[in-house]
Amino acid sequence: MIAHWAILSGIEGNLRALEAVLRDLQRQRPPITTLYVLGDIIGLKGQNDAVVQRLQMPDLEPLDPQICIGWWEEQCFNLFGVGLSGEVPELIAQQGEAAVGQLWESISRSSVQWLRSLPFGFHELDCLLVHGSPVSASEVLTPATSPAVLCDRLIRADANQLFCGRSGELFDCWVRAEALTSEVKTLDGRETQTFDLPQRRLIGVGSVGRQSGMASYVLYQPGNNQLKQCFVRY
Amino acid sequence: MKYAVISCIHGNYEALNAVLLDIDRQRVDQIYCLGDLVGYGPYPNEVVEMIRSLDIPTCQGCWDEDIVMGLNACECSYPSQLAEKRGRRAHEWTNRVLHPEVREYLAQLPMSLRQGNLCFVHGSPNSQHEYLLPRMHGFAALERVLAAQADVLFCGHTHIPYVRYLREGKIRVHHRGETPQEFQASVKMIVNAGSVGEPRHGRPNATYVIYDTDTQEVTLREVPYDYQKTCAAILEQGLPPIFAWRLARGMEFAERADDPHHVCQR
Repeated sequence: MIAHWAILSGIEGNLRALEAVLRDLQRQRPPITTLYVLGDIIGLKGQNDAVVQRLQMPDLEPLDPQICIGWWEEQCFNLFGVGLSGEVPELIAQQGEAAVGQLWESISRSSVQWLRSLPFGFHELDCLLVHGSPVSASEVLTPATSPAVLCDRLIRADANQLFCGRSGELFDCWVRAEALTSEVKTLDGRETQTFDLPQRRLIGVGSVGRQSGMASYVLYQPGNNQLKQCFVRY
Repeated sequence: MKYAVISCIHGNYEALNAVLLDIDRQRVDQIYCLGDLVGYGPYPNEVVEMIRSLDIPTCQGCWDEDIVMGLNACECSYPSQLAEKRGRRAHEWTNRVLHPEVREYLAQLPMSLRQGNLCFVHGSPNSQHEYLLPRMHGFAALERVLAAQADVLFCGHTHIPYVRYLREGKIRVHHRGETPQEFQASVKMIVNAGSVGEPRHGRPNATYVIYDTDTQEVTLREVPYDYQKTCAAILEQGLPPIFAWRLARGMEFAERADDPHHVCQR
C-alpha cells in the first residue's frame, strides 16, 4: 500500500469541522494510511470532550491516528496544574481573561489526563511533525518568519520536511543556506570551516476548526514528496 | 573602548584575584561578568562580594539561577549520573554556606546585558543552560547572534575560550508562487570568555578575554595563579575531591555514565 498521510491541526474543539474533514479523508485516493493531528485538538470553538472522544473512537483505527500536543493543550496543562508552569500568561495575553474560566469549564479531568499522555511531535522517515516548531509548541513559523530563524529551526529539526500547524496557515516553502565562513580562534590554534544547509522544506498544515465554515489540511505522500493542500466547506 | 569580559568564576577567589590583577595591567575601561559566580569552588561569598564591591555589571549564570531557584533548572548537561550527583553535592554545600544578601544579589541579576552592538549572556540568548560550542552549525550560531540583536555576542558556560567570526552566509526562502526572499548577514562575532575559576582548556590557568571596540580585536588571556591553594580549600571544605583533581588539570572529569541513556525529564 502506498504511504499516504493526512496531516491536520487546530481542531480547537470544533467537532463539526472535524467530522467534515474525516468524511473528506474517506474519499481520498490512494487511501489514507496514517492520520497525523498536530495539536490544538482543544480550544474554545465548542466541544472539547466530544472531540477528544471522537479521536479515541475505534472507527479511526485504520487511519492509525498519531496525535501530539499543541499550544492549547499546553495552556490546559498549566491551568490544571500538570504542566511546566502553574500560570497561564500566554492564554490571557492571546485570548483574554475570560478564556481561563471558559477553558477550565470546557474539558473534563479524564480528557486532560489523556491529552497529557500525548507526545511533543513525531520524527517519521525524513519528516518532523510538530505543532509549533522544534523549540516550542507556541512558536509560530511561516514563510514570513526571519530567514535566520527558519534556518535554525530546520537545522534543529534534523529532517528534510518540517510540518507545523501553529500559524493555522497553509504554505509550502523551501529554505536553503550556503557559504557561511566560520573562523574559530582558540588558545591553541585556528580553524576555518564553511557551512551550508541543503534545501529543506517547511510546510504549514492549515487549521481544521479555527475558521468557521472552512477547514483546511494537507495530504502528503512520503514516497514521492507530493503535497496537496485541501479545503473542506462545512 | 577596551572591555575585559570574565565568566564562570565558580567560587575560586584565588583565580579571580589573579585575573583582576592581570586586567589592571591591561588598562581596560570596563569589566563585564557573564555569571556563574558560585558553584564547585570553596569561596562563593567572597567572590560575589568582590564582584559587587567593584560594581562589575554581571548577568546571571546557570549556577546562580540554580542556587536561587532551588535546583529547578535543567541539569541534563552533566555527562553522567555520577557527575550529576557530585554537582548536587556542590549545590547543597553552596546553598548551605551562602549569605542571605549574596543570594539576594544573585536573584536580581539580569539574563543579559547590552552595550551598543555588544550583548553579554551566560550561555546563549535563549537560556543560561545552552552551550554555544565552537563547532555548532554556523547558521545556528548566526541565529543566536541575530536573536541577541547584536554584532558581537559574548558568552561563557563552556569554560573554554574562543572567538568565532561568521562571514558571508546567504539564506534563500522560496515560497511557492512568490518571489524568493534573500538574506545576507554582515560579519558577526561570538566571543566565549572561557572560565576564571574552573578552566577546561587543558591547563589549570584562569582564562578571560579583552575586546577592543576601536580595532575589534579580541585577545584571549590565560593567567597562571596558585591553583593549589584553591584545590586545598576544596578538600578542606569537604567538596568532592574530583573538583580539585580536575582544577589542577584544567579539564572536565567524566567517568563512564551509569546510564548512557540518561535524558532530561523536564
